[in-house]
Amino acid sequence: MANLRVGTSKGQHWLTVDGAQSVREALAETEARVPTACGGVGTCGACVVRVVSGQTNPPTAAECRKLSGEELARGLRLACQLRVGGDAEIEVEQGEKASSWASIPLEELPPGPGLRSAAGAARYGVAVDLGTTRIRVSLWDLAQGRRIASRSGPNPQEVFGADVLNRVSTAVNYPHRRPELTDLARGAILQAIGDILAQELGDSGVPPAELGRIVVVGNTAMLALLTGAGLPALLDPTQWQRAIEVSPMDPSAWQAEWHLGRAEILLPAPLAGFVGSDLLAAVVGTGLLEGPPGSLLVDVGTNTELALWDGSVLHVSSVPGGPAFEGAGLRFGAPAGPGAIAHVLPCPEGEGFICETFGGLPARGFCGSGLVDAVALLLGAGLLKPSGRFSRPAGPGGHPLDPAIPQSALSAGDVDTFQRAKAAQASAMEELLELAGLGWRDLRRLCVCGAFGRSLHVGHAQAVGLLPQVEEQRIELHGHAALVGCEWALLATDANAVLAAVASRARLVNLSLIPDWEDRYMAHLRLGPIPLESCRRVSP
Amino acid sequence: MSRAELFRTYMEAVFDTDKAAAFAAVRAALEEGMTPEQIVFELVVPATEDTMSAITKDPDANLAQHFMTAQIASEVTEWMLERFSQPPEVLGRVVIGTSSGDLHSLGKRIVSGCLKSLMVDVIDLGVNVSAEQFVEAALKHEAQVIAISSMMVHTATGENGCMKVRKLIQSQGLEGQFRVIVGGAPFRFDEELYRKIGADAWAADGISAGKVITDLIREVKP
Repeated sequence: MANLRVGTSKGQHWLTVDGAQSVREALAETEARVPTACGGVGTCGACVVRVVSGQTNPPTAAECRKLSGEELARGLRLACQLRVGGDAEIEVEQGEKASSWASIPLEELPPGPGLRSAAGAARYGVAVDLGTTRIRVSLWDLAQGRRIASRSGPNPQEVFGADVLNRVSTAVNYPHRRPELTDLARGAILQAIGDILAQELGDSGVPPAELGRIVVVGNTAMLALLTGAGLPALLDPTQWQRAIEVSPMDPSAWQAEWHLGRAEILLPAPLAGFVGSDLLAAVVGTGLLEGPPGSLLVDVGTNTELALWDGSVLHVSSVPGGPAFEGAGLRFGAPAGPGAIAHVLPCPEGEGFICETFGGLPARGFCGSGLVDAVALLLGAGLLKPSGRFSRPAGPGGHPLDPAIPQSALSAGDVDTFQRAKAAQASAMEELLELAGLGWRDLRRLCVCGAFGRSLHVGHAQAVGLLPQVEEQRIELHGHAALVGCEWALLATDANAVLAAVASRARLVNLSLIPDWEDRYMAHLRLGPIPLESCRRVSP
Repeated sequence: MSRAELFRTYMEAVFDTDKAAAFAAVRAALEEGMTPEQIVFELVVPATEDTMSAITKDPDANLAQHFMTAQIASEVTEWMLERFSQPPEVLGRVVIGTSSGDLHSLGKRIVSGCLKSLMVDVIDLGVNVSAEQFVEAALKHEAQVIAISSMMVHTATGENGCMKVRKLIQSQGLEGQFRVIVGGAPFRFDEELYRKIGADAWAADGISAGKVITDLIREVKP
C-alpha cells in the first residue's frame, strides 16, 4: 500500500492505494474523480493527470498513443493506466462538475402543451429527461399549465464511462458499486429540482412535499441504472429487442429518500433494451406522428436513436455512434457548455479560423457542433482529405484550428472518431429509409435532436456527410425534444398513455442483424456529401 | 497503361480509400488484358500489403481508413474470384464470429475481408455465437482456425466465450485439430489476456490477423 496525495483546484485529498489498482480506480472513490469515455481502457484520453513526484509505472502503449513525448515529459499521464509503486503526488485538473446547473434558454423551449393538468390535487410537477451525458429538468405549475423553470446539467455518472454499457457492466459486475451509480443519478435529479426551488422560488417557494408528479424519460440503460432494475438483461443481446422492466423495485423507499411523500414517480416504459422512453418522448415533442410520411427523427448521442414515420408505421432503431458528438473521446473534447468550442468560422480576411466558445470563455475543447465545423472547414480548405488523412502530417499536437489555442487542435485520431460516428449515424438513417421503401429525396422533415442542440451548422453537417443535402428548410434542429415530450406526458391525465400511443405504432429494427447495413457504414466512412441516390455498393 | 502505371493508379486509389477509383483501375486492368487471377495476385494482394504496411507505419492513420482499405480489397477480390477460370486454391479455412453476448460485428468483418484477399476461405458465423456453434462449425467445415472477436471486456473474458471454446476442444479431444485466435479492443490493452482465456494467439488489427491466421493454418495443415 502507498500514500497518494492528490491536488485539485478545490483542495487536497490523501488516498491509500495498492499497486494493483489504477489511479483512476482509486480516484473514482473520491471527490476527485476523473472523467472517462472508454471505461478505463486507455482509448479515450480523457483522464489526464499530472504526476508531481513519486514512483510510477512506465507509460503504457495506450499512453504513448494518446500523449505526445512533450506531454509525457511534463509528467502528464492517463489515470486509468497509471499505477504507483510507492508514495506519490499527482495533480488533477477538474472541469465543471455535477453542480453546474444552468437554465435552458427560453427561446429553446416551446411554450408547452398549453394544458392544465387534471392529474390530481397537487399543484406542481417535474419533467425529467435523464440523458447519458446531460440531465434536463423542468418544473411545472400543473394547475396553471405553466413552466416555472428549467435546468440542464451534466450527468454525474459520466465518471463511470461515457458508454452506457460500461456503466451497466460496472453495475452488474461490481454489485457494491451499483448503489453509487443509482445514487449519482437520483442525487443529480434531486439537486436540479432543489436548484430550481431555491433559485427561482426562494424561501417562499414550493416545498418538495408539494410536488405531485415526477415523470422521468431516458434511455433504457439510464432508467435501469436509476432504479436498479433490469440491469443484467441489458447485457444480454437477445433481450435488446424486448421490453425490459425498469420500474423501481421499491418506489416508496425512493419517495421517502427524496422526501417526496406525495409525489407519484412515473417512468413510462421504454420500448426495448436499445430504444428508451426518451425517443418516444422526442417523437411526441417534435409532433413526428402528426407530420407527413417521410419524417425522420435522429436523437444524436453516444447511442444515437432514430425514428422514421412513413405515415402508418414508426420504424425505430438505434446505433452506437460513440461519444464524439457529445465532446467525449476526443483529444480536446468538452461537453456542450461553458468553454466548449461551439462554432468554428473562417477568418473574414485571409487564411485561418476563429473558434467561438459557449460563454466566450477560454476554449476547453470541441463539443459536437464545433467538431463538425472543424472537420468541414479543414476538408473544404483541402487540409483534410476525404479519406480522413491530413494533407500535411499534423504533428504530435494535432492540427490547431487557431494556432494560438492548443485546445483547438484536431488530431488524426479525432478525425477517425468523427468519421466512425458520422458513418454510423448516416448509414442508420439510410438503412431505415430503405427499409421503409423510401430514399433520401423522400425526406419531408428531418428533426435533429440531442447532442448538437441548436448549434449545429447544417451546411457543414451536409458537407461532411453527417446529414443529407436535402433543402435546408426540411431540417429542424430541436434542442430539448425529449424534455418537451416528457412535459406533455407530465400534463396529461395518463402520463404513460401518451408514450404508449407512440410505442404502439413502432416497429423495431436491429441494425446489427442487417448485413447490408455494414456495407452502408463502410461507404459512409469517407468525408463528403451523401449521394442522394441511395449509395449502395459501387457495382463493378 | 503499363503494369507499373496500373499498379500505381490502383495503389493511389486504395490509399485515398476511393472505392470508385479503385474499381475503375481494375476495369482498366481488365481492358489491358490482365486476367482476374493476375489482377488478384499481381495487383490486389501486393497493393493491399503495401497499403496496409504504409497505414500501420503512418502515425496519422486511423481505423476508418483501415476499414475502407480492407473493404475495397475484399470487394475487388470477390469480384475477381467470380471470374477465375478455375476455382481458386485456398490456403485454408477459418470459422469466425463474435463471442456470446457481443454484437460488434465490424472488427470481424475487417479480418474476414483481409483473409479473403489472402485466399483464405472464411465461414462467417455472424454475431453472438455460442461456444458450441464455433466448435460444431469448425468440425463441419473442416476449418483449421476458430477466430473469435470480442469488443467488450465482459464478452472477451466471459465464461461463455473463448474459455468455453477451449474447454469444448479439450473435452472432445480436438486439441491438435484447431487453433483459436482472438481479437478486439480488450486484447490490445492487455497483451497477455489471450493466454488467460485459452486462446493460441491474438492480433491487433485485420492486417496482422491475416498474417497470424495464415501462420496458424500452416501449423495445423502441413
